[in-house]
Amino acid sequence: MTSPTPPPAAPRLVVGIDLGTTNSLVAVRAGKTPHVLRNQQGEALIPSVVCLHPDGRTIVGEAAKALRLQFPDRTIFSIKRLIGRSASEAAGDAAGLPYPVVAGERDLPRVRIDDRDYSPEAISAMVLGQVKAVAEQATGQLVHDAVVTVPAWFDDAQRQATKDAASLAGLSCLRILNEPTAAALAYGIDGSKDGTVLVYDLGGGTFDVSILRIEGGVFRVLATAGDTHLGGDDFDALLVQRILALLPRRAAAAAKEDPYVLQAVRGAAEGLKVRLSDAGSATLQLDLGDRGQVDLTVTRAEFEGAISPLVQRTLDCVQRVIKDAGLRVADIDDTVLVGGSTRVPMVRKRLAQLLGKEPRTDVDPDLAVALGAAVQADVLAGNDRSLLLLDVIPLSLGIETLGGAVQKLILRNSTIPTSVTEEFSTGVDEQTAVDLTIYQGERELAQDCRRLGHFKLRGIPPLPAGLPRIAVTFLVDADGVLRVTAREQRTGVEAGIQVVPSFGLTRDEVRRMMLDSIENAQSDYVAREQIDLRNKAEAMVRGTEKALAMSELPPDQTYAVQKALKALARLLAANADAAALKHGCDELTKVTATIADDVISSAVTKALREETTR
Amino acid sequence: MIHVPAPDPFTVFGVAKSLDLDARALERRYLELSRECHPDLNRAANTADCVAVLQRSAEINDAWKVLRDPWQRAKALLEAKAPGVLDRNKKLDPMFLADALELAEEVAFARDDALAPLQSRLDQALEGDWQQLRADLDAGDLDAAARTLHASHYHRKALADLQAKS
Repeated sequence: MTSPTPPPAAPRLVVGIDLGTTNSLVAVRAGKTPHVLRNQQGEALIPSVVCLHPDGRTIVGEAAKALRLQFPDRTIFSIKRLIGRSASEAAGDAAGLPYPVVAGERDLPRVRIDDRDYSPEAISAMVLGQVKAVAEQATGQLVHDAVVTVPAWFDDAQRQATKDAASLAGLSCLRILNEPTAAALAYGIDGSKDGTVLVYDLGGGTFDVSILRIEGGVFRVLATAGDTHLGGDDFDALLVQRILALLPRRAAAAAKEDPYVLQAVRGAAEGLKVRLSDAGSATLQLDLGDRGQVDLTVTRAEFEGAISPLVQRTLDCVQRVIKDAGLRVADIDDTVLVGGSTRVPMVRKRLAQLLGKEPRTDVDPDLAVALGAAVQADVLAGNDRSLLLLDVIPLSLGIETLGGAVQKLILRNSTIPTSVTEEFSTGVDEQTAVDLTIYQGERELAQDCRRLGHFKLRGIPPLPAGLPRIAVTFLVDADGVLRVTAREQRTGVEAGIQVVPSFGLTRDEVRRMMLDSIENAQSDYVAREQIDLRNKAEAMVRGTEKALAMSELPPDQTYAVQKALKALARLLAANADAAALKHGCDELTKVTATIADDVISSAVTKALREETTR
Repeated sequence: MIHVPAPDPFTVFGVAKSLDLDARALERRYLELSRECHPDLNRAANTADCVAVLQRSAEINDAWKVLRDPWQRAKALLEAKAPGVLDRNKKLDPMFLADALELAEEVAFARDDALAPLQSRLDQALEGDWQQLRADLDAGDLDAAARTLHASHYHRKALADLQAKS
């Protein structure tokens, strides 16, 4: 019997994915330079938004984002804020979200739509599925392997949950890569940047800062710090408060209660923030019909006053990370900015003041993470042996000892992989199992750290107390994920370890969900893109109709909107192709730019009217 | 829970068991070993090999952490030359301990003007410890070297506390 000849080895395609709180991106590296992949409409940013439509469809990305106003309670965004956390921990975040988040089994957060519960991993997997589809369509190849980025400050549970989400999306996650590290790769890839670089990454929801030394193709992280709950969304939230404070009291109360209006206020706040990056003040014009017009003006000084404490928090982190790296401010050769929130002028100004030099502007803050992930993907695919990345673990790992204290086994900022071996014994005669609880964090007491999981060593030979010698090895792999192995020293017996994670999915759950997803997998991506665009267009038509009914636009504007609306509806009826639909959507977007402002205007007018008639 | 010592870092790096190692040469050796052994550049086909690659890579990172810090390097050196020597020499001169305690209090209450002179005193004390350690090693008296190392711990701790204040 002859064995079949293996097919010739094709260059392996591994993509780099920036799985963001707000938007996701995918990039590949062909040759020296990495580039981002775009969908058929030429868009690189894939909104990390999933809409579970009442008609049973799952809509992801741009089309789902367009449905946020129409289905606020079934359009899921910012899922990254919930992943790998418990429902109680995530309660603060969940309270600000317009879709329902409940506590499921083991106090895990679940998104509940139509009495069905979805894990954050499953939702993230839907986003990753869309990312995978874009990559496959753009490259014309099937995509199986990926490097997925996470905030450097993500702990073990959040990393594991992200890996699980990739598995559920049918992706093998070759590496969990820290976002600032990825950005440094994108910055230093041309080989001319040897030195010490500080990466300041302020995204929509998280803040990270890392210091790296780049030397002869080796990118070595010296220290990292951050805040999992600090970002541009918090700037927006402060502006939302400001807008609500400027509205008449009853109108503000009415806006707070209506998720539709509140969503419009959020949209307006984001717009104001962007305009305030270029101008000294920005105005939100509300047309209140016969009551005239109200202009809500926010000056940049007001905005900066409001966000100043948040910016200071990031600068405290920067100072801490410099100290942790054993460096002084003067040792930093360059600063790289990552994340859309670094466009806020005050952020740049204060950082430049602290570091005594202007940050680099030649790295695109939106693309750097995905591009760096593509570089690391290329290294892991075996295509580039000149680069090496040495990263660190962001938070210390330890186990609980008597009295509820945490004994640290692996200190934060240790280069990974890293390992430590400790020997344990039994306290009772004939004891055959030992319980260990793993914690992650910097505090001294277990109650102040994150409980990562529970390990039970089984199969210990029954001996008098204190005689068994069980060597437990805690190994943190290159993903920053903990692996535990144990061996009884006298007998050489490998002790069984049963892992019960405190957060996220159990191994069985992941296996079951993967089988489900394979059964439901679809492969016709071009058709899917067409469907997505149809969904988006349909959503825009319905959303705009609803908004038109709620708002009171001047006649010429109403006419323009209705004209664009009809044109798009005709394209839909005629089953037009993707390019035509895309054009129709763009035209409609142009004329509806002010509609969010107007929805707020109408809400205010309505509230004032109700007040007069009472 | 008993700590199981990691493999001797001098052997992991393949360098001489010596107190004086050139910092730059050591760093170059670290980067060279990392290139040879890091899992990213050595993707093993089967799981068992994967764990072996990870273990080796972890050993290198952990050895580097010890070797690049002169005091940790000294500790590893003593342990490699005479296993158990540090544990056997934990008992320090009561007079020294009384002085150390006084120093710790001085650091705890030091303010403004007192900080700088205290810092230079501690720097000097540590420099003295280092010279003593070298002399003990040169004389082949590992027990004395272990005691010197234990004593230096109090000075290092005081210095760290002082630096945390500014």
